[in-house]
Amino acid sequence: MKYVKSFFKYLSVILVLMLALGPMYWILVNSFKPTPELVSATPTFWPRTWTLEHYVNLFKQVNFVQYFLNSLWVALIATVISIILGALGAYSIYRCRYPGRNLFFGLFLSIYIFPRVLLLIPLYVTFSKIGLIDTIWTLVIVNVTVVAPFSVWLLRAFFSSVPRELEEAALVDGASRLQVLYKIFLPISAPGLGALGLNSFLLCWTEYMFAAIFILSDANKTLPVGMAYFLEQYFIDWGLLMSSSVLIALPAIIVFAIAGRYFVEGLTAGAVKE
Amino acid sequence: MRRRINLGRDPWFGIALVVPLLLWVAATLIYPLLEALRLSFQNVQYLGTAGKYVGLSNYRTILLSKDFQRSAGLTIWWTLLNTAGKILLALVCAFVLNQDYRGKTFVRNWIILPWVFPSIVLATMGKWLLDPTLGLINYILVSLGLIEKGISFLGNTTYALYVVTALNVWRWFPFFTVIFLAALQTIPKQMYEAAQIDGASRVKRLWYIDLPHLLPVIKVSTLIASLWSVNIFDLIWLLTRGGPASSTATLPIYIYIKGFQEFRISQAATAAIVLFVVLAIYGVIYYKRALDIELEG
Repeated sequence: MKYVKSFFKYLSVILVLMLALGPMYWILVNSFKPTPELVSATPTFWPRTWTLEHYVNLFKQVNFVQYFLNSLWVALIATVISIILGALGAYSIYRCRYPGRNLFFGLFLSIYIFPRVLLLIPLYVTFSKIGLIDTIWTLVIVNVTVVAPFSVWLLRAFFSSVPRELEEAALVDGASRLQVLYKIFLPISAPGLGALGLNSFLLCWTEYMFAAIFILSDANKTLPVGMAYFLEQYFIDWGLLMSSSVLIALPAIIVFAIAGRYFVEGLTAGAVKE
Repeated sequence: MRRRINLGRDPWFGIALVVPLLLWVAATLIYPLLEALRLSFQNVQYLGTAGKYVGLSNYRTILLSKDFQRSAGLTIWWTLLNTAGKILLALVCAFVLNQDYRGKTFVRNWIILPWVFPSIVLATMGKWLLDPTLGLINYILVSLGLIEKGISFLGNTTYALYVVTALNVWRWFPFFTVIFLAALQTIPKQMYEAAQIDGASRVKRLWYIDLPHLLPVIKVSTLIASLWSVNIFDLIWLLTRGGPASSTATLPIYIYIKGFQEFRISQAATAAIVLFVVLAIYGVIYYKRALDIELEG
């Protein structure tokens, strides 16, 4: 009886894992199959022959490196700006007192309900006027807009776990408030900032809608837009899409492996109120 | 609570810290919102051209248009399906993963992985799995003898919405599973022990201990899940472009098509404002009821 119970327990856990991770396995494996096997009528769950041809094609036929670098720049710059703006804003909201604080908090939270498609039209006009259209700066700007206010929310749990006494003691010892902030408070909140960085990087790295509208020339495209072009063809080159899927997911997974733990912590602490 | 003499003093320090974020949001969120509002009262066709003020006529046109009404109804249905799908699947998975087994921490940290996947990868995966001739799903269905020939699920007005929903749910359920798991782990062990002494069955424990404990978290998650579902654009666009025959054209898609394909900028802006107002009302009511977030101090 005990073994039966244990069997069903592990079976159920494995089923959930397969549900979550199975499709990724399918993409990964398929990216290594030669085209005839890839498009054959009977799928193979383990490649009969392994090949890197789709990865090679990615660099030979497609502007992949350029797309990749564009995406990386957008994500990195937007993340740095988001962390700075978000951390300062969150510190101000949670640790300082002044009139209007609640209003600002509400405003930053309202990004949740804001239909992003609403931003497309006015921002397109503005960016055209100031000559930014078709540059990655449009994407940096708009990604920060989406991410930074959200970080105020994300940092809540991390910031409230830093004891106030620590800051007060430093103030009594004659440190300025700015010193307290960047020498004591922010270093302690490093996991929170890591979570924020992860969230920001992922959102910018994966963003499609704004990039599809604001970027016009091939040289400035980000990865999602570059890939979408191949998905929209009448004859889809599946091998190319499989290998680019793996390579676009890889940085996301790496970043997650580094900071994912903190993100999960922050996410759960924020949602689960004690 | 004791007074915070030092940290509360000097409001200008706090204001100086929040000003950069505030300015950023004002320039890239509030200003576009006002711009869209202005456009909604004008008759601008192409982007960047001038228009005349036409009062409320765009609102009349949009609200009375059959396409808009259909899209609005579809958006509600889409949101309900997605929210329910994410929350229910996440609940089931959380209960499964909350059992005692080896590697629990590992599973808890990595189960969220589908959430980090770019929409474009998700769309590629969906198109690939559902392809009428090459796709695994059709292969399985045909092998089992359920259907004779592969079905183009994404090209079918009946199935397309549900297929896109399934993919979106797949992407998001791990996110909520993690949240529910964390909430389950805050339940004091003593409660389970007491239940065991009383001889309560597992179902009873689930019903009388787990679910009531989870309820506040479920409420917050439902709010977040629903708001995030309404505004989904990338995945739907990449998979179906709102088609076939507008069967997956939720409001964000409708607005995009109006503005950037039919070049009716003012009408698109009007629809976007309507969507924003409805979401704002929903959000405020729900925030107040379910969240009551309070700042300390």
